[in-house]
Order: sequence, then structure tokens, then C-alpha cells
Amino acid sequence: MSENGNLFLRNLAGFWKTFRQNKLGLAGGFLVLVAVLVAVFAPALTDYDPSDIIRDANNRALTFAPPEVHGILGTDDAGHDVWSQLVFGSRISLVVGFMAGFIAMFVGSALGIAAGYFGGAIDSLIMRITDVLLVIPDLPLMLVLVATIRQMELKISPLAVLIVVIGLLYWTSTARLIRSQTLTIKERQFVARARAIGAGHWHIIRKHILPQLMPLIVANTVLILSTAILIESGLAFLGLGDPTKPSWGTMLNFAFDRSAISNGAWWFYLPPGIAILWVSLGCILLGNVLEEMLNPRLAAHHLEGEAGMIAIADVESKG
Amino acid sequence: MKTRYTFFAVVTLLALVLSACGGGAPATQVATEAPAADSGSSVLKIGWLGEPDTLNPAYAFLTEAYTVFDLIYSPLVTEDSSGNYVGALAKEWSASGDGMTWTFTLKDGLKWHNGEALTANQVAWAINAIMTDPDGWAALSGYVGGFSEVTAPDEKTVQIVTEYPIANMKYRLSFLYAVYPPDFESFTTPEDLQNFTNDKPIGTGRFKLTTFDKDTGVLILDANPEYVDGAPIISQVIYQKFDSSDAMIQALKVGDIDLLSDVPASAFETVKGFEGVTAVAFEGRSFDELIINDVSEDNDPAPTGNPALKDPAVRLALETAMNRQDIIDIVLQGLGTPGDTIVPPTLGGGFWHNPNIKTPEFSIEKASQILEDAGYVKGADGVREKDGVRLEFRLQFDVDSSNYPRIADLLADWYSQIGIKATPEGVNSDTLIAATTGVGDFDLVIWGWGADPDPDFILSIMLTDQFVIGGWSDAGYHNPEYDQLYLDQQAAVNKDERQEIIYKMQDMVYNDRPYIVLYYSNYLQAYRSDRFTNFIESPLGLDDDASLAQAKPVQ
Repeated sequence: MSENGNLFLRNLAGFWKTFRQNKLGLAGGFLVLVAVLVAVFAPALTDYDPSDIIRDANNRALTFAPPEVHGILGTDDAGHDVWSQLVFGSRISLVVGFMAGFIAMFVGSALGIAAGYFGGAIDSLIMRITDVLLVIPDLPLMLVLVATIRQMELKISPLAVLIVVIGLLYWTSTARLIRSQTLTIKERQFVARARAIGAGHWHIIRKHILPQLMPLIVANTVLILSTAILIESGLAFLGLGDPTKPSWGTMLNFAFDRSAISNGAWWFYLPPGIAILWVSLGCILLGNVLEEMLNPRLAAHHLEGEAGMIAIADVESKG
Repeated sequence: MKTRYTFFAVVTLLALVLSACGGGAPATQVATEAPAADSGSSVLKIGWLGEPDTLNPAYAFLTEAYTVFDLIYSPLVTEDSSGNYVGALAKEWSASGDGMTWTFTLKDGLKWHNGEALTANQVAWAINAIMTDPDGWAALSGYVGGFSEVTAPDEKTVQIVTEYPIANMKYRLSFLYAVYPPDFESFTTPEDLQNFTNDKPIGTGRFKLTTFDKDTGVLILDANPEYVDGAPIISQVIYQKFDSSDAMIQALKVGDIDLLSDVPASAFETVKGFEGVTAVAFEGRSFDELIINDVSEDNDPAPTGNPALKDPAVRLALETAMNRQDIIDIVLQGLGTPGDTIVPPTLGGGFWHNPNIKTPEFSIEKASQILEDAGYVKGADGVREKDGVRLEFRLQFDVDSSNYPRIADLLADWYSQIGIKATPEGVNSDTLIAATTGVGDFDLVIWGWGADPDPDFILSIMLTDQFVIGGWSDAGYHNPEYDQLYLDQQAAVNKDERQEIIYKMQDMVYNDRPYIVLYYSNYLQAYRSDRFTNFIESPLGLDDDASLAQAKPVQ
């Protein structure tokens, strides 16, 4: 175990050395980091609760106030402070995005490994399910699912419904990727040797296959995050979010419903749009760079000669 | 339904983004949804956010349906823009000395849209159909209460005999449309009749319907050249449904549509400033309310409302924790007045509205105290409960409205401060109708009514026997005393006596709170005055029958 740990640290150090030379990757990491910090320290960044109604001198609600009149980003149609909505909205958007992304990653990896490793009937079954899910248009399916589940009146919060639905529908591409990678790994010699000395399936998957796949899974998860955040915004924009816990998508939904565009209230509809762009761009940049660096096949093409990057080859020779 | 919603939202969003970036041209994508009409300017294109639920007058529920009925069907008499009743099918009429026999003489040359001549028999048949099958004709049966016999003594005469003198006879008749008997004769059960969609209605009105496509939200009416009082000046009216008010307003701005039948209050000031556009505000007859499930436990199917909603203390707390002034300032941008009773203050010039009702002052502390005193204790998650019943309510609203989502959001926030968890959920109006009337599958619903000029109709929505599928009652209010008063006011010929009864009915509904009336809203409309002119500006709206009759293109 300690040998594994050392190996991991060495790989990590090597990884960082390469990563910090990649400007796009750094930019992506910066964008994501800022968003996460804003979400974590939200209460410190604003004086208002997102549901406070800002009032004028006559104690009447101050609606559609431009930034010159109130705060950093003015008020929305209900007199709520837009900046505090944006800051607190990051929590909802990121939590839903991250949780859904992790569910998708977990389901996709588990099924991908099972399909690739065991092959045969299990493989066929899992891959056919994947095919079916891939050909159904995502957004309409999710709309129907979210609406149906919510009408069943199970006592689950609307956000949990969103997380589960997005998570359980977005694992297909991960599963396919992981399966193909598992297929190549399981044919390698060290797996054959392990099997020859009597190692069980669980042992082989855990000790030999999963470590090989880990970089791929990490890169893929970051990419799925951006999809999950976009989808959450989309569903919330269509009115399927939790209006009591506004995310960026919910803000856009209200902006659209309440004639923000006709009113020229750019401070109401632009910030959430930019925030969504910010995070998903960050995730995509980061994810692409990670994939490029960690995916052995891409590495062979693009990173030839970068000795520090052959972490995977390293592991393999030791195995 | 859901996919259509997405599709529309995406299309309109796209059009909107494009028009925001690149000037007006791309926004025409919205309008291309409507079949290309002649570029001749005598086609009036009207944008709205809803559409008729059905074109069958037997059980149409939504205001939009009645807007269309008024254009394609004619009753015996109709209300004009100053609130008087004038003949539509009828040329003249008289009532007997005891007020119980009414005789109508029809105009000459009345023709159905298919060219056939209209006979007095057919008019009598249409009214008789409602009287003999009140369950099937649920939407209109309230208007024939107290009718005993309708006959056609000759080709030109219709005679109505009533059981008692009816005070608001002409108002009632204005909703009894002459429907084409062959379209409606074949139905044997109320269900058959109600399932009939009447997509090709034949009427005698000023316009005839040529297209009603629910998928694209397009409804096309052609001028009826044979109309008895003369054809309208404009040749065609197209109603286009929009799923987003912003897209609709942009469409008016760039000229894809000519008239907005309902301008969202949040954009009224902006629309006023558009070049070539005239925006008008009328004191309306409509209000929006919070409906509380009041359905009797004996109802079949059993209501699913939270039992705590039956507790008057909970209802009082729901009203006390609601800041009406904020709702008006935020949702209507100040264009409305705080609500109290179901009879809007505009009816009969204020004669029918009970001025003695006082609503509780907004106070979160007081509302919490009311719940505390009634024995509702806060649980670990801050939601109050008593005897295992948690104060956790569904809060549904019609997604077609641009106001309701915001009201739901405000209410949910105030209620969370007093330990009530209200979960807002937008649903489409068809689902909402199916969950409320006759069924009671809801807790709280935000919705609205447009009242008739006479208080009779708006009072009838609280009748016990209106709580049937296709009926008018959505709250499920059941109070025999109220039902009796309703009959009494119909029979009260003396105006002051009727007023007293109606005051009492308002007191009853207000204190029992099946509804919490939020506000009375103004009626906001706008039109391209650089293209059309000569509308009648009245509380009936610019797209009322009489107004469209005289509207003409700007030369």
C-alpha cells in the first residue's frame, strides 16, 4: 500500500509539472476554483439574503433597480438583490451539477467496467441499454421524468429529483469509454498473470483495472460536470427547478417570465448567463486538458517525449 | 404537452436572442409559425399567452374560449361597451307585466356560417338543450336557472317563460349562444357532449373560425360577409399563442403582431414607450386568488388536500402572512388594487362590492402567533405540525401566466417564515382544471377569474352544485346557506334588496376563505396604432366583438 501511495504522489507531482505548463488547463482550473470559492464563501460576499425584498424610502419594493441605484448588480423584478441571488445561486448550480456528475461517473464507470471485464451476455445487456439511452433525446426525456416524478408527490425535494434524473441519464458516454478501455487493459499480461495465480474478479478489478482507469475517469468526470450544470440550468430555466432555492437557471427563468428583456434589465439576465458560461467553460477546458494528459492513447499522439507524463506506462512496467 | 412546451421555449428563446443581437428581422421566426397571410394590412394579428381550452361552449372554462365564442356565436342580446344590453340576434324584445314571460323578435336575414337561414326554433333548441342536460352543459347551465319553458311560437319569435321574475335576464341571455343544432344533437350522455371538441364551429357571429391548431397555437377567424349587421372592416383575425411574454412583446415591437390582448404588468411601462404603439389600461373585472382546498370529505373522488387546510386558523394565517401591497408592487408593478371579496369593485360601478370587509394587516409575527395559538408546533426542520399533520402544502399555478410564478415564489417565502412549507409547482391549465373542478386533487392553487358585468356569475363559482367536472367551482366550497342566498338574489327584483343579499354572500365567502383574493388587476392592452385604428377602448377589451367590428387599418 505504501508503495502505491508513493507512486501516486510521484505521479501527482509529475502531473502538476506538466499541467502548469498548459495555459488552457490553468485557465479552466482557475474558473472552476473561483466558482467553488464563491459558493463556499457565499454568505461573506453579500449583505442580503437572496429572498430579501429591497425597499425604497416609502417602504415599497424596489423593482428593476439598475446597478447605479442599488448594490452591485441592482434588483430583479421582485426587488431581490441580484448579486446575492447570483452568489447563492452558485451553491445550487454547483451542488446539483457536482452531485449529478458524480452519480453519472459512478454509474458509468461501474457499468463500463462490468461490461468490458465480464463481456458476453452482461456486456451485450449493458451496451444495449446504453444504446437505447443514447438514442432517446435527453432533454425531452428528462423533462418528462422530472415532471412525472414530481407529480408522484414523493416527499423528495425538487433538487434531489433533478440530481437523480440527470445523474441516471448521463452515464452512457462514460460507460462506453470505460468499457473500451477496460477491454484493452484486461488483455494485458499483468492481468493474465494475476488471473493465473488465482486472483478473483473483484481483486483484479480493484487492484489492476481500476487504477489504470482512474485518470480517464477523473478527466471524464470533469467534462460531465459541465454538462450536468448546463442541463440543470436548462431544466430550471424551463421551470423545473426549485423556485425557493434559486439557481442560475431559475434566475433566467424569472428574467424571461417577468419581461426582463423587454425592460432592458440586463443586470438581471446577463449575470446568471455569464456565470453558467464561466463554470461550464472552466470544466470543459479543465476536462479536455486532463483528458489529453491522462488518456494514454491521446498521450501517445500529443505528448510524445514528455517523460514526466508517462505515468501510466510507468505503472504498467511495474505491474 | 411537455415537449411542445420545450420546443416553444427553445424557439422563442432563439428568436429572442437573435432579435436582441441583430435587430428586428430574425424575430419574424416567431410569426412564421402562423400561416402566411396576405400582406394586406386588413389582417389583424393578436398575440396572447393562453388559448381556448375547447371550442365547445358546453364546458369551456378559460376566458380565451369566451373571447372566441363572442366573435363566432351570437346570443339573443349582448353587452355593449358602455355596459348596456343591445340586440344581437334579437331585433326587439318585451317582458310581460309580471316579468315572467319574455318575448324576442329576431332580426331579418340571419344566416349560419354555412349559408343556411337561422330559425327561431333553432335558437329555442339551443337554450332548451342547456335546460334539459345541465350536467352536460355544465359551463352554461348556471345562466338558465329559473327558466321553465323556451318556445318558438313562429319563425321570428322566441319566448322564454321563467319560474320567477329574473332580475338580470339580459345579462344571462348574453351567454346563451345560438349553437348550430346539427352539431350538438347527436350526443346522448353528458360525457359524449363534453368530449366533443367542436373544432369546426358553425355560428352566426361576425367572424367564422377557419383554423384552430393547438399544436402551433394559431387560431384564425375570417370575417363573415353575410353577418346580419354588416361585415367587419378587417378581413381576418389571427390569434397567436406565445409561451413567453418577452417574445410576445418583442413581436409587437417589431410589428409581427398588431395587438396584445393582455400586456404583462411588468412590461406595461416599456410597451407604452414603443414607437407606433398605443398602450391602454382599463379598470378590469378580474382578480387573482389563492384557492384553498375546501372540498367536502364526502366528495367522490375523495379530495387529497392537506386536512390542516380545513382549519380556519391556518387559513387566517395564510392570509395574514401575505403582503398584498408587495404583491401588487412586484407582480403588477403597482397597476392594481388590493383584493378582498370575490365581487370586484368595478361591477355595476361599485354597487355590488361589499365595502365593509377588512382584510388583516400583513404581519409575520401575528401569523406565527395564530398558528402557535391553534396548537401547531415547529418541528426540527422548522415546519409546524399538530397531531401528526404537517403544514406542508403543494402550491400550484398556471404556467401560462407570467405573474403566478412570482406570486408563488413570494408566498412560499413568507409562508416559510411562519413555519409553513409551500412547494411551488407550475402546471399547465388543462392539468389544473382536471385537478380542481369536481376532483379536489390540490392543496393551494394560484389562479384568477374574470367576472361578468353582473355579479351573478362570479357568485355562482362558490355554489355546491358547481363542484362537478366541467362546472365552475374549483375550491369546492359547500355551504347550503350560501346556495340558498344565491337563489334569493336571483329572485330579488328590488336592487337594494339584492345588494343586501350579495353583501351577505361576500361576507360568508370572505370569512370562510375558500379563496384569498390577492388583488384586482387592471386590464392592460396595447396595439400598433400606426397600423390599426378605431378600436373601442372599453373594459370589454380592444378585441371585443363590437370593437373588432369597427377597427380599421390605417391608410
